[in-house]
Amino acid sequence: MKRKKCFFGLKVDRQVDGDRMNKGVMAKILAEGGNAAAISACMQCGTCSGGCTNIDRMDLSPRKLILMLQRGDWETVLKSNTLWLCSSCYICTSRCPRGVRPSDVIEAAKAIAIAEGIENDATRFHNIFVDLVQKRGILFEPELMQRYGGLKAMVEQAPLGIQLVLKGKLSPLPESVKNPAQFHDALEKHKRTRTHNPDLS
Amino acid sequence: MTTEYAYYPGCSLHTSAKEFDISTRVVLDALGVHLHEIEDWSCCGGSVAAGLSHDVGMALAARNVVLAQQQKRDLLASCSGCYNKSAKAAQALDDPQEGPKIAATLSDMGLSVGEESVRVRNVVDVLWNDIDIASKITNPLHGLRVASYYGCLLTRPQDITGWDSPVHPVSLDRLTEICGATPVDFRSKAKCCGGPILVSQKKVAFELTKNILDEARERRADCIVLACPLCANNLELRQADIEEAYQETYNMPVLYITELVGLAMGLSPRKLGLYKHVVSPKPVVEKIKQGAKLV
Repeated sequence: MKRKKCFFGLKVDRQVDGDRMNKGVMAKILAEGGNAAAISACMQCGTCSGGCTNIDRMDLSPRKLILMLQRGDWETVLKSNTLWLCSSCYICTSRCPRGVRPSDVIEAAKAIAIAEGIENDATRFHNIFVDLVQKRGILFEPELMQRYGGLKAMVEQAPLGIQLVLKGKLSPLPESVKNPAQFHDALEKHKRTRTHNPDLS
Repeated sequence: MTTEYAYYPGCSLHTSAKEFDISTRVVLDALGVHLHEIEDWSCCGGSVAAGLSHDVGMALAARNVVLAQQQKRDLLASCSGCYNKSAKAAQALDDPQEGPKIAATLSDMGLSVGEESVRVRNVVDVLWNDIDIASKITNPLHGLRVASYYGCLLTRPQDITGWDSPVHPVSLDRLTEICGATPVDFRSKAKCCGGPILVSQKKVAFELTKNILDEARERRADCIVLACPLCANNLELRQADIEEAYQETYNMPVLYITELVGLAMGLSPRKLGLYKHVVSPKPVVEKIKQGAKLV
């Protein structure tokens, strides 16, 4: 895109063109993120990006990510590594002068991306984590490491694991809620109650 | 004065952060606060679950809040993550849109949401705002230089926490001062350690954690004090890995705030669970002994 200057020196990449806004994508984020998504209130000041922990590693800054969502450019958001580099530290959300809550927007975008079948290390971790929590209600970390990293991770983590066992901080047996089956089924039933319609974008 | 709370330890406090659990119980008991552990509590979902499904994340966290409601007591969590997610869920339960959705999931688990909402508190908030701990300090930690590390979820976002500044928090520094120690000027205090992305983006998390350790060392801190097991996981349990990856030596003890307060109250390190740390807190204990001699 040719970079055009407009009034007051605002660059065209900070503009939101009303005609190009796609309400569908915003509606999707709103449906997933609950109250989180005040996306349309964003005025592109960039305070979120200015404070972001991992901004220098992201290919799409939080400010741009919100802009893409305003424009309805879901593809760009989906392809970016921003979703998986965000460490949910809430600095952006604390600083945003418009109440956009970028952390929560990114969280919602993550969930939609995973539901649409995006696969990478982070999505694999999310899936395994939630799977294990659903299974027993209480996380058993050795199992998480084993499922995520296989034997290699287990061997790598062994020295730390042994230390933790010796200090009485790692039980060999997992804890569980009293009724794991009911716990599991309730979460499973409500996991995907929202319909993520890919046509919306 | 006795105060009672429904105590929610969370997954970490039963495993890798056992000393946080032990010291919370011991210190609050000594201060006349009674904890009733929530029966049949479950994982709050952390920063991960809601990234897969908002509904699952909310239901997980709300379950413990509803169990606290049944106890008719405010919920107290030590872990910053559990505290933050529970507080978020408690807010959502009162929300006319979100509340019914969460209630539906919980009713499938056989739980009904109560009428009376409860407050969700963190142990730092309680120690700082509710209790006069100054009068209980019998063993002031003179000469101990402490880097207070708040991390993210203890104070952010402010509409969920609301008792300390989200970007320039002071509670841990003030508590450190009350304990007689010297808080160092620590610029990394509210920066992220990369905890939630440790597993999938290890390199990035290590780099972020290294920055924090670097600054603590630069400021000649004797230890880092915090209130988050996930931060401790990075700063303490992975310290050896980071030392290896970057060819550095830190030997930086990492203590939970409850342990520091306990030491200043004259409780024994053994009773506070200090011996459970992976990075030995011995230099801290030695320095406290020395400081006591000087006065």
